[in-house]
Amino acid sequence: MKIPVKLLCIVITAIIATSFIAFRDSNSENAGTVFPWKQAGLTERQAVAHLLSRFTYGARPGDIDAVMKMGLEKWFRQQLDGNLSDDSLNQLLSDYDALKLTNAEVVATYPKGAQVLRMAVKDGVINKDSVNKADKKAYKGELKEYLQQNGMKPQQELFRQFINQKILRAAYSNNQLQEMMTDFWFNHFNVSITKNDCAQFIPAYERDVIRPNALGKFEDLLVATAKSPAMLLYLDNFSSSGTSDNDSKADMQRRNKFISQQLGDSAMQKMQKARKTQGLNENYAREVMELHTLGVDGGYTQQDVTNAARVLTGWTIYPMDDKGFGGGIKKMLDKIGEDKLRARGFVHEGDFLFAANRHDEGEKTVLGRHFAAGGGYEEGMELLTMLAHHPSTAHFIAGKIAVRFVSDNPPQSLIDKMAKTFAEKAGDIKQVLLTMVASREFWSAAAVHAKTKSPFELAVSAVRSMNGDIRQPYQLFNWISKMGQKIYYYQAPTGFPDNGQYWINTGALLERMNFGLALAAQRIPGIKVDTTALIVDNNKPEAAGVKIGSPEFQRK
Amino acid sequence: MSSRRRFVKTGGLALLGIGVGGIPTFLVRAAETEKLSALYKKKKILVCIFQRGAMDGLMAVTPFNDAYLQAARPTLFMTAAKAAGDAQLIDLDGHFGLHPSMKAFEQLFREKRLAVVHGIGSPNNTRSHFDAQDYMESGTPFNKGTSSGWLNRATGLLGHDATPFRAVSLTSSMPRSFYGTNPSVAISNLQDFAIQLKGNPAAAEMAAKNFEDLYGHTSSSLLNKTGKESFEAVKMLQSAAQSNYTPANNAVYPNNPLGNALKQIAQLIKMDVGLEVAFAESGGWDTHFNQGAATGIFARNVTDLSDSIVAFWKDIEAYQDDVTVMTMTEFGRTVKQNGTGGTDHGRASCNFILGNDVNGGIVHGNVQPLAIDNLEDGRDLAVTTDFRSVFSEVADKHLKISNDGVLFPDWKGSKIGVMK
Repeated sequence: MKIPVKLLCIVITAIIATSFIAFRDSNSENAGTVFPWKQAGLTERQAVAHLLSRFTYGARPGDIDAVMKMGLEKWFRQQLDGNLSDDSLNQLLSDYDALKLTNAEVVATYPKGAQVLRMAVKDGVINKDSVNKADKKAYKGELKEYLQQNGMKPQQELFRQFINQKILRAAYSNNQLQEMMTDFWFNHFNVSITKNDCAQFIPAYERDVIRPNALGKFEDLLVATAKSPAMLLYLDNFSSSGTSDNDSKADMQRRNKFISQQLGDSAMQKMQKARKTQGLNENYAREVMELHTLGVDGGYTQQDVTNAARVLTGWTIYPMDDKGFGGGIKKMLDKIGEDKLRARGFVHEGDFLFAANRHDEGEKTVLGRHFAAGGGYEEGMELLTMLAHHPSTAHFIAGKIAVRFVSDNPPQSLIDKMAKTFAEKAGDIKQVLLTMVASREFWSAAAVHAKTKSPFELAVSAVRSMNGDIRQPYQLFNWISKMGQKIYYYQAPTGFPDNGQYWINTGALLERMNFGLALAAQRIPGIKVDTTALIVDNNKPEAAGVKIGSPEFQRK
Repeated sequence: MSSRRRFVKTGGLALLGIGVGGIPTFLVRAAETEKLSALYKKKKILVCIFQRGAMDGLMAVTPFNDAYLQAARPTLFMTAAKAAGDAQLIDLDGHFGLHPSMKAFEQLFREKRLAVVHGIGSPNNTRSHFDAQDYMESGTPFNKGTSSGWLNRATGLLGHDATPFRAVSLTSSMPRSFYGTNPSVAISNLQDFAIQLKGNPAAAEMAAKNFEDLYGHTSSSLLNKTGKESFEAVKMLQSAAQSNYTPANNAVYPNNPLGNALKQIAQLIKMDVGLEVAFAESGGWDTHFNQGAATGIFARNVTDLSDSIVAFWKDIEAYQDDVTVMTMTEFGRTVKQNGTGGTDHGRASCNFILGNDVNGGIVHGNVQPLAIDNLEDGRDLAVTTDFRSVFSEVADKHLKISNDGVLFPDWKGSKIGVMK
């Protein structure tokens, strides 16, 4: 039987039209969203496999069947809600005591190595002359004892726990999307353990700043990062202060009088000295526009950077330690008292301090917006709000999310749709993700299997694919590092690049193959896997290893 | 050796020219091998060594006539006077003295192959190790957002095909200098560059065959291409026997991370695998406590540094014309010694450049008397030579990379003649 071409065209048009209507509904009313995988010619099993490949750290045996039964849309909604119970994971994490500490407690318990040494020398536990004269082994024992006696622990232990928890969460959390988005935003707002000064604040940064906001509003995320000790130290804003050129003489006199009255002249001199040695630092102001919000082509100038930096002067860290870092300032602030500080325009919010005395009170213009003189703390908040909702930001963030979840070169049509949702829904991250998954582009042949797994994704998905039991997560970290992704140690504020070209080079590729072989041969200490979950016939375990190291397993 | 190669090459190609018919396969194979290695041969090689922690340039190469320095460093200052005995500096030019523990460098300096640049540093006056290293390695001292490293950009400007070993860092993780889109490898041990499975080499060998087949047939062009390169690279390393490596000229590498890294770089150079940019690190330069003078921590560090470099130089004697070695450190240290017998973070330091095309035997740069008025912020040796002017000159003269606009965007300075 021959079907007239005309009729066929009408039928196809009708199908396309109805599916379009379904999308439009789904964009305005999320409840009824139907993912258009059928139109892309995928089977349901293929569609689920694609969905799980993008929003989990790899499917475990049985996962695809379970999601087919539940329905793709329902599964995704659950993931967006991110509140499935995680009892067994929490049980595993309960041993990690360092991860429950506040920043101040971390400072007290896990001091920086050099700081410990200095304290030990000062307390006469270690002879000044023995330090560095012999190698470190000579006083290692004494140092360890000194730490123990004073209730302190080596900082490496904090990082070990922190790294382990990321691997355990990725492998075992039922809220997989939450973990993926936590990873995404951490990388977007990257901070690095390689920078000593901020390193100890990074565990709390992920826990309190990134994870709770990972599926929330972009603006909240931006503000929370701006105020966090990790970011303030990583991009130097903690030290940025107004220069006297920008302050009026009256401002200065008023401020000086206030400090003298409150604290006496010696404190006054101290403050003045501190001010003199510091000044405007543009690092954060530049990166917040270039990397966090507008993007490098987002339409800002050097003038905007300088003025944004001036807006953010005085955004710093509330001193946490009586003895160490900022101890002197803490005593001073305690003496003045919260009420008086507030009256003078200071803002103290957790670890964040807006130090009004360090703020540039002159008028500024950023991206055409005028900030009148004397804007204080509020003008910084206004600036961040403006950046969070800027059209360039909507496009930049939409593009980055699409690169993470769709392909290294996502179609502009998709980015535009996502950016539109970002703008209309005031930066609601869940809505942007929904728009993406409800798009035709997400399910297209150009997207399926288009992404290259990062080393972290490869390692965790390999373990998950074989129902792995992770007793020593750090062993996986070592492999992940060898494969080219030393998590939490990426030095540049750009975060790890998100494309296959970056991850795949000769050395890294060999390590991926070797990782597969070692894992399947049960040669990674503390990691047990069930190779029969991956190979059906009675092949040798090496067959599972080859599968993990194969080109197909590097993609998702 | 080279004449044999030339014979094989021309002979092989000539035979190919008259038809494939009766050519012995061994000759064809030899010609192919030759073609492969000819592609990689005779490339210039730049070896960069990052001294992390900020080396005290004033102790490494001391302006020993400077009375201000002597006064500022009661226990750290050394003289070039004979009376000093073991603590006597090696007088380089009547003005600068090399630390006695770097005596291995003296001959190379006298032979005019080793140059020193003093007063080198970054225009950005940060005294944070992290920031200063970041800026030096990205090559953009005022822009943190630069995603690539200067050496990665350099390899992109070489203007010819790369082998898998064009840019190799002998470090456990990729250094900031190598970040970027041009292929580069970070590996701490060349022995690891193979398909291997501890305790089961037979299984590894089987798996390697499987992998080679799978990667040869994958539809992903990225994985297909890189897979091929990986296996090619493995074979290159295997064919050049690397276990039981014996350095040439009885060179003895110190048993420390830098020595081991340089030894492996020497191996790569001799294997002709296409190395053009190599990177290694040296640590322990952050000498806040008791840095010592003629002996002690600093002395040990410079011994390790100079002995490693000199062993490397001896080892690669046959390749010296093609190789330049350059050290770098993120900043220098305070002119005044601190209360704990050390020095704190400062500004300018010095660096070393070694090679046959180096304008050696000279302490380059501009070091003024260390009177307080001449110091940066009243405390530090002032930066009088931008590190980019030296790095770009070395890249230009040695690697023939002249596109400074890409190598060091935003920099418009002049070069100081450290290269011939």
